[in-house]
Amino acid sequence: MSDALVRNLAIPLAQVLVVLGVASGAVAYMTLIERKILAFMQLRLSPRRVGPHGILQPIADGIKLLIKEDITPTRADKLLFTLAPILTVLPAFTALSLIPFSGGGKFTLFGYEFFPWIADVNVGVVFLLAISSLGIYGIMLGGWASNSKYPMLGALRSAAQMVSYEVPFGFSIIGVLMLSGTASMVGIVEAQRQAHLWYFAPQCLGLFVFFVSGVAETNRLPFDLPEAEAELVAGFHTEYTGMKFAFFMLAEYVSMMVIASIVTTLFFGGWLRPFPNVAALGWLNFGLDHLHPALPGFVWFGLKTFLVLFVYLWLRGTFPRYRYDQLMNLGWFWMIPLSIANVVLTGAVVLLVAR
Amino acid sequence: MSVTGFLRKFLLLEMMQGMWVTLKNQFRPHITVEYPKETVEFAPRFRGVPRLRKDPATGEELCVSCLLCEAICPTECISIVSEKRPDGKGKQLVSFTINYERCCFCGLCVDPCPTKPITAIYMSHDYELAGYDRDAYVTAREELVDGKPAKLYTR
Repeated sequence: MSDALVRNLAIPLAQVLVVLGVASGAVAYMTLIERKILAFMQLRLSPRRVGPHGILQPIADGIKLLIKEDITPTRADKLLFTLAPILTVLPAFTALSLIPFSGGGKFTLFGYEFFPWIADVNVGVVFLLAISSLGIYGIMLGGWASNSKYPMLGALRSAAQMVSYEVPFGFSIIGVLMLSGTASMVGIVEAQRQAHLWYFAPQCLGLFVFFVSGVAETNRLPFDLPEAEAELVAGFHTEYTGMKFAFFMLAEYVSMMVIASIVTTLFFGGWLRPFPNVAALGWLNFGLDHLHPALPGFVWFGLKTFLVLFVYLWLRGTFPRYRYDQLMNLGWFWMIPLSIANVVLTGAVVLLVAR
Repeated sequence: MSVTGFLRKFLLLEMMQGMWVTLKNQFRPHITVEYPKETVEFAPRFRGVPRLRKDPATGEELCVSCLLCEAICPTECISIVSEKRPDGKGKQLVSFTINYERCCFCGLCVDPCPTKPITAIYMSHDYELAGYDRDAYVTAREELVDGKPAKLYTR
C-alpha cells in the first residue's frame, strides 16, 4: 500500500472503526447504567439476573432484539420503512467524528502519525449543528412510511419539537464561538486552555440553554414526547419491531453521547484536566502522561462526559414529562429569547474587554 | 410576585430541591425484597390458601362434615360430599374439594368450624398458587390434608 493510501484511507478507517465500536459498546452499557441509576433513585434493585450485578444484561437485550420478529406493516413503503432507522442512526454516528476525545499529543503507529480525533474541521461546530438536524428526516420518514395514523402524528409531533429546539440549540453555541474565536472543536478546547478558564463560567446561560435544548433535541425526559409511551401510545416508532426499533434507540443514545461530548468540549474544557496550566496539579494526570501525553485526556474526557450523561439520567429520574404546549412554550418563549440574550450579553462583554 | 418568589422561580430552586431528593436516594439502601430468594414475614393471621387439618394428637381428620363452611362460603368454592357412618352415628367425609379459582380468601369458612379449639379448616400461609391449567386449582381432600406442606414463610 502506498504511503498516501495508508495516510488517507487506512488510518481514518481504523479510527472510524474504533470510535464506532467504542460508541456502540458505550451505548449498550449506558442502557444498563441508566436502568441502574433510575432504580437506585427509586430505591429499587436494577437488573441483576444476567451475570454478576446484571453485567451481561445489554448482551441479553441485544440477542433478544436480534431474534425478535421483524414486522413490516401491510402497504407500508418498504424501502423508506427500512431506510428510516438507518437515516436516524447515521447522522448520530457521523457527529462523533468531530469530537476531540483527547489532545496533547499525536500517536505513532507503524511510523504513521495520527491524532486522537477523526477530523478537526475548522467549521466543526457548524457542521455538528447541520448533522444533528438531519436526524429529523429519519423520524419523519419512519412515521410516514409506517402506513398508520399514530406514527404519522407522532412523527409530526417529534419534528415540530426537534425543529423548534434546533434554534436555541444553535444560538446558545454562538457565545462560545465569540469567546474562543474559532469554530473548530479542537481550537475551542485550546482556547479554553489558553484562557485559563472553562467556558461554563462565563457562558452559564449558554450552557443552560444548550443543555436543555440538547435534552429536548435528543427526545429525552422530561421532553420525550416523541415516545410518550404512557399517555400517547408511543410515537413515530409504533410500528417498528426488533432491530429496526433498536436502531432508533441506538440513535437516541448516540445522540445523547454526542450532546454530552459537545457540552464537555464547549463548556467544560474537553480533554483538559482541572487547572491545566498549573504544574503543581500534575498529579491529576495520574502519571499517565509519562506513558503518553494524550492518555490523561481520554480519562478526563470520559469522566466529564459521563458526568453530563449522569445529569441526563438524573433529570429523567426526577422530572415528570412536559405537556406538549408547555414544551413548545418553553422552547419558543424562554429558550430562544434566553439564547439571544446570551449572544447579546457575550458580545457586549467581549467588546468591552477587547477595548 | 415578590422578589424572593421571582428569584425562587428564576433560579429554578424548586427544581433543584427535587433533584436533590433523587440524588440523595442514589445512596440510600434499596427497599426491594428479592422475592423468590427472600420473602417478607407474614402476620400470624395472614390468610393464604384454606387447608384441612388433622388432629395433631391422634392423627385423625378433624372434619365432621357439618357443611357449615360450605354454607357460609360467599363464593361457593367449597363442596363437601359425606355419607352416614356404618355404625349410624354421625357422618363420614367422602370428599372435600376447594376450588381456588373462586376462593376469595375471606376466612369465613374458618369462623363457624365446630371443631374448636383446633379448627378442621384453617387459613394457611401458602400463597404461591401458580398452576398450568384449571385443574391445578381444584384441590381435593388428600391434597388439602397432606399435599403441599403448609409452610410458615419467614425471612
